Amino acid sequence: MLKALKVFTLMMNFEEIEHTADKAFRARGRTLAELLENAARAMASLDKVAAAGKSFVTRDVELEGADRETLLVNWLNEILYLEQTHREVYDRFRISQINDNHLRARLYGRPSANRVSHIKAATFHDLGIKQTPEGFEATVVLDV
Amino acid sequence: MEATITKDNFVRLSDHIWEVPATFRQDMRVPARLYADEDLLNAALTDSSVVQLINTATLPGVTKYAIAMPDIHQGYGFPIGGVIATRLPHGVISPGGVGYDINCGVRILASQLTVEEIKPFLEELATALYANCPSGVGASGSLRLKKSELVEVLHEGARWMLAKGYARSEDLERTEEFGRIPGADAAYVSDRAHERGRDQLGTLGAGNHFIEVDKIVEVYDQSTAARLHIYSGNVAVQIHCGSRGLGHQICEDYVSRFQKNVHEYGITLPDRELVCAPFDSSEGQEYFHAMACAANFAFANRQLLTHLIRRSFEQVLGGKLRDFHLHQVYDIAHNMAKVEEHDLDGHRARLCVHRKGSTRAFGPGSPVLPNDLRNVGQPVLIPGSMGTASYILTGTTGAMQQTFGSTCHGAGRTMSRVKAKKAVRGGELRQQLKSRGILIYAGSMPGLAEEAPIAYKDVSRVVEVVHNAGIAKKIARLEPIAVIKG
Repeated sequence: MLKALKVFTLMMNFEEIEHTADKAFRARGRTLAELLENAARAMASLDKVAAAGKSFVTRDVELEGADRETLLVNWLNEILYLEQTHREVYDRFRISQINDNHLRARLYGRPSANRVSHIKAATFHDLGIKQTPEGFEATVVLDV
Repeated sequence: MEATITKDNFVRLSDHIWEVPATFRQDMRVPARLYADEDLLNAALTDSSVVQLINTATLPGVTKYAIAMPDIHQGYGFPIGGVIATRLPHGVISPGGVGYDINCGVRILASQLTVEEIKPFLEELATALYANCPSGVGASGSLRLKKSELVEVLHEGARWMLAKGYARSEDLERTEEFGRIPGADAAYVSDRAHERGRDQLGTLGAGNHFIEVDKIVEVYDQSTAARLHIYSGNVAVQIHCGSRGLGHQICEDYVSRFQKNVHEYGITLPDRELVCAPFDSSEGQEYFHAMACAANFAFANRQLLTHLIRRSFEQVLGGKLRDFHLHQVYDIAHNMAKVEEHDLDGHRARLCVHRKGSTRAFGPGSPVLPNDLRNVGQPVLIPGSMGTASYILTGTTGAMQQTFGSTCHGAGRTMSRVKAKKAVRGGELRQQLKSRGILIYAGSMPGLAEEAPIAYKDVSRVVEVVHNAGIAKKIARLEPIAVIKG
């Protein structure tokens, strides 16, 4: 039951969408913070890098961007950078402070088990953070 | 801004050239041209690749026309398979027009061994290649460079490998730009990019990157093929990879930074990934210096992989077969922005030629070719999808006249990764290919399914178009016998 609920929640928060050459997803959130957290979860679900061992890691992140969209792209690319340079994989994302140009967050994860990751970068292609009746929505194309 | 486009919006200029006039959309500065047969044109209209092509026709300084090759498919910002040239000094340079994998490219090494000679050792050889050539996006290699050494690599490219014993001088002769693009300055490469690149030399990466052992199945031009050490029935090795995390970080750094600057230059764009700066601006110059560093890193990376491949051949075949040496046929870039001179309206003009998923294809007589290839033209290496064919072609005078010396770069995708994974299972695909005599070594089975041959166009049709349009000439066809994938 719990598992099904979790899947349902994930489906509401983001979904993979088709792209001929690369990978893309649509993420949603009631707030800007939730949108960015869900975008990070969406990217993690598309990358499928397995974790290893029982040790846990956390990373604190502070970022700036010229506008919301730049902040979103910088956030996803920061996660990729930390995963690839520290050989870690993150599955929980908590944004503690955010405005249109700045955020503070903590990433939770574990050392990565394997060397197979497919995502090179998050792109600005056709990117726009839309205001919806429920909150915010964005579509992101990832270069793979 | 976005207008719906159909076949009716194209004017057919010849059997293989279709044009969208500059009047199609108000923001177009030049027409958009597509090289395709009718079916490939229809395929291009199934996703947003033609809209992406038209978007590139709006960039400041773009000259003559925006061009797409028959392997065009949807990318981000620029389409994959696109070429635009901007007139210098004021025309723009666009980091998104080069892409995250700066100097992603292909190298082919030819052996003098026949397929029959190598077959008994093929499984052992493929295992050695998979073990010696690390794959995966974050994979690290056997060399971990000091910062000063990495700076040398960024400035010297494949030449650095010559000094360290990982290259032969003949390899550099047979590499685009002789393995070192001018203009590199590591002062414009971020600490993060340095950090990501330090341990990634000699690694393959993921996605569509691969090392392939091929058999040469058909030769169309015996004398040119012989100049390239290519003989029917022999074995060759193909490498497809780029500048790894270092290149990704450089692109990220400048795409993000240019978001702030683009408005200062009064540039309006239909897509933020097309972000750009005038070539002669400080931002444009800084990106160009950094991009050249990533390009040199990629040349060095393919060179170190070449060394690891030669070592694998020696490990497995030494003492068993006589001549297992690998001669470099050529090494080409297919994601790059380069400063080149071309004829424009009867004059020589300095241009910044962006090739994203497109290969330089300079014709006979070009002064940038090595002496022994000057009357042949530049070798052009076109990898097909996994399990199908790849081609060796040469550049032509036609390419110089029509496409700023450019041609296609591969088969081009036609099916999304989501659909490919639904249609094919990686394990089953590996078995199918094995039953056809093709060994597959892959780090990820879902990743393998995403690269299934059904997800790609027919590379032979793509090659027929560029051959018949006169923007490259067929020399030989290769088919895989073992594939190592990231």
